[in-house]
Amino acid sequence: MAAQPFIVDSDIHNVVAGKSIQHRLAEPHRSRFASGNRGPGHLGYWNPNGVMRADTKLPDGRKIENQPETLVEHVLEPYGISYGILNPGGMGLGLCPDADYANALLAAENAAIAEEWLTVDRRLKGSILVNPNDPEAAAAEIHRWGDHPDFVQVLLPSGARMGYGQRYFNPIYAAACDHGLPVAIHPGTEGVGLSGAPTAAGYPSTYFEWHTDLAGSYLAHLVSLVAEGTFQRFPALRFILVEGGVSWLPPILWRLDKNWKALRLSTPWLERPPSETVCEHVFLTTQPIEEPPRREQLHQLLAMFPAERMLLFSSDFPHWDGDTPDFAARQLPEALRARVLGQSAAELYGLPGVVHA
Amino acid sequence: MPEPQWHTVATTAELPAGGRKLVSIEGKSIGLFNVHGEIVAVLDVCPHELAPVCRGRVSGTTLPSAPGEYCWGREGEILACPWHGWEFDLTTGRCLVDEKLRLRRYPVEVVGDEVRVAL
Repeated sequence: MAAQPFIVDSDIHNVVAGKSIQHRLAEPHRSRFASGNRGPGHLGYWNPNGVMRADTKLPDGRKIENQPETLVEHVLEPYGISYGILNPGGMGLGLCPDADYANALLAAENAAIAEEWLTVDRRLKGSILVNPNDPEAAAAEIHRWGDHPDFVQVLLPSGARMGYGQRYFNPIYAAACDHGLPVAIHPGTEGVGLSGAPTAAGYPSTYFEWHTDLAGSYLAHLVSLVAEGTFQRFPALRFILVEGGVSWLPPILWRLDKNWKALRLSTPWLERPPSETVCEHVFLTTQPIEEPPRREQLHQLLAMFPAERMLLFSSDFPHWDGDTPDFAARQLPEALRARVLGQSAAELYGLPGVVHA
Repeated sequence: MPEPQWHTVATTAELPAGGRKLVSIEGKSIGLFNVHGEIVAVLDVCPHELAPVCRGRVSGTTLPSAPGEYCWGREGEILACPWHGWEFDLTTGRCLVDEKLRLRRYPVEVVGDEVRVAL
């Protein structure tokens, strides 16, 4: 009989219980670990307050944001909001490396929105979710819903593999223009899946840093759209920078124009100062509106570009950094309020002024 | 100024250490908190965007420290607004990030097992 061999197994996977780890952590790491740490795209960025507002649970246990009826009753009606544009979670699915799976999920979510939300109350308007990393499939999805009266825009994640002015995305813009739909981008996926790093300096450490840096993503997309001549290729295209901040815009417009004067030769399709094109084609949403130490400083910024045409009110409900309409209105100069709170959006989205639910 | 009126709004059994109760007094929503045995009453309105602040998390917070170090303290004394996360010191009402901002606080007295708030 052979002797029992001497054995060493060099790879066994045991599982250490989460609770064994949790109680060994000091705060604030313990709370972060206990929360499951569901940061943007599971990158690990941690918002200690949660990304969703903590007070949207109704006495019956439902959350306001989970049903069209409760959104209307608890958000639109109390604040006198005539229309709400729905930008649902899932908008970043196109950053999944498996385009077929992403396309299937996006198509299913669009159908759910059409059948279970837009049919309930016509004050709720939908966004067509599409996959920026499969532009032909995205265009097909836009054609599928483009003539639906209650889908009012195309929505893309601002986390991206490259600037949205790249010609790779042209099928999306062509399809949107075929249906007269604006294209919007929304933050939250910077660094997720197929997207590039959240900043040109790589990955920030904290949610605080990541979230503050989001403006950089917007700046890159805006300059890309301008420089690549996207608005010359698609003169009817309107592009909405949702939740990307406002105050960085004027100095970028000045910088675009200054550089264009010297470097126009390399982008001969730009026949006018680029700021003029931006102001005609691009829109920004208010939230999270910057809160400088003195309100007149914000008013000065808003006078540096045609805010009366470009700026649209947004609440971001139910996210942690939302702005209510009354709060946003108080930040704005009186002359801008009516335009920003509703008139500009009604014109952009073609919404009638009188609402019948 | 009329004299403040005392309102009996809770029993001490409803407010154990770390406990919270939301009440309505003269149409105002007010949060009662038991902070280390002392009951404090604050108006349920955040001075930032007027959110229902008393529905937020009560916990400790990170104390000032050197970069890369975390020092947890003030457990049970810090109320974070459920909308934007601004933190308030329940023992003083002060906002941790803006000393000019504070929660509206009301006098509290405990008589027997009754908790009374003056408005």
